[in-house]
Amino acid sequence: MQLRHFTYSFLIVLIFLAVAQTTSAQALDISSGGQPTITGAVNGSVTGNANVTSDLVVTVNFGEVSPLNTNSIVKVMVPIALRSNQPYQVAVSMSGLSNANPQALQPSDIGFGIQNMRVLGGAGKICTQSTHIISSPFNNDPATSATVGANGRVSYPSSLGNLSGSTILLSGPQLSKNNSSIRQQSDGYVFDAIFALTPQFFVAGVSSATLIFTISAGPNVPC
Amino acid sequence: MPHIKLILFTMFFVVAAGTCFAQSTTGTVSISATVSKFVEINSGGAVTLTGNSGGGVTTDGVANSPLAVSINLGELGPSNTNSFVTAQVPLKLRSNAAYVLSMSATVTSSGSTSNKIGAADVGFGLGTITRSGTGVNTGGTDTNATSGDPTLPANGSVNGASGRYEFTAVRSNLSAFSSATTALSGPFIMNAVPRSNANGLTVPAYFAVKPQFFENGTTTISVTFTVTAP
Repeated sequence: MQLRHFTYSFLIVLIFLAVAQTTSAQALDISSGGQPTITGAVNGSVTGNANVTSDLVVTVNFGEVSPLNTNSIVKVMVPIALRSNQPYQVAVSMSGLSNANPQALQPSDIGFGIQNMRVLGGAGKICTQSTHIISSPFNNDPATSATVGANGRVSYPSSLGNLSGSTILLSGPQLSKNNSSIRQQSDGYVFDAIFALTPQFFVAGVSSATLIFTISAGPNVPC
Repeated sequence: MPHIKLILFTMFFVVAAGTCFAQSTTGTVSISATVSKFVEINSGGAVTLTGNSGGGVTTDGVANSPLAVSINLGELGPSNTNSFVTAQVPLKLRSNAAYVLSMSATVTSSGSTSNKIGAADVGFGLGTITRSGTGVNTGGTDTNATSGDPTLPANGSVNGASGRYEFTAVRSNLSAFSSATTALSGPFIMNAVPRSNANGLTVPAYFAVKPQFFENGTTTISVTFTVTAP
């Protein structure tokens, strides 16, 4: 009998802890925003979970980016979902991709931009007093705005070369109508992170980088 | 014991519910790309044929197009009074790595004696190497394994014993290229620029025959250039 009381008491404590966890849950969330896509690749791929309730874990393989790839550009679109019950900001930091040879692939050779900020379903909060701001110079599609520089090398309005430490990409007002600690299918916003890489006479080799996107409390703007 | 199971089950349920759609403030995008060694040879432009009597350029070279030229050298007997019949074929090379240009050649004549045109009677050499234009690595030093224009006086002369004109310098005639043999090598040619950039390394390939009392007949010369990135 005493054991039964103990069990019930323990269950109540567990439920209380769960409720407490909910009420003090994270008010900021970043996740997959849908299926990432890749075009123009030779032996390339992109993998990620299309479910918007999944964590953002995407692997991009641009494939062959020497002149063996005769496509004009390799473009990757990664939808990223955001949720918050408060003003937010999104930053990104990069590690890797540090080739000493200037003719090898450099961060500035990978165009990087933000486009298509859009509501994720009916529970996305539409604020009228503040807008979602994409930080300069990232508000562009690098795949459609690549140019050839004076040295003959392709450049972009913004690229991974513009990242320095934790670089703020995006900020704005509250994203979600509700205050749930649980991801839902329709309670925030989605934007596209766009990567572009033009095949060129780079020095041969394999290059890699890791980008970490982070959402945190942003400037206190009204909704 | 059943109570312990119930507790464990409940704990599992609570934890699982909490992690199933748990929020996160970070996400990761991992990126990789591969650059393979790349080399190519194309035509560097139109062929120049000089000293010919008859003949002509049957299929001309077109700059930046695959190299596939066909040349009729015309008359190579003494009725051609020019000192040499010379074909100059521009080549264009591009690479993102150190390259080696090799060549192999076959010479087939219809004659039946040693006086027919043979591989040693066809002079060969690579001329001035040019690295210029936006996106071209101008810092490299190329090694020409041939002796240059085979018609230069230093590259050949009449054999005092036989009286036959001979291309005597190093790799100055096609007998040196009966199998794939290096003609040119050097460091990477192109900086990091797209393939649409039409610049590259250009070099003229000279082919020359001294009109002589060769045995009458027809001769076919076939030359294959190959560029590799070892």
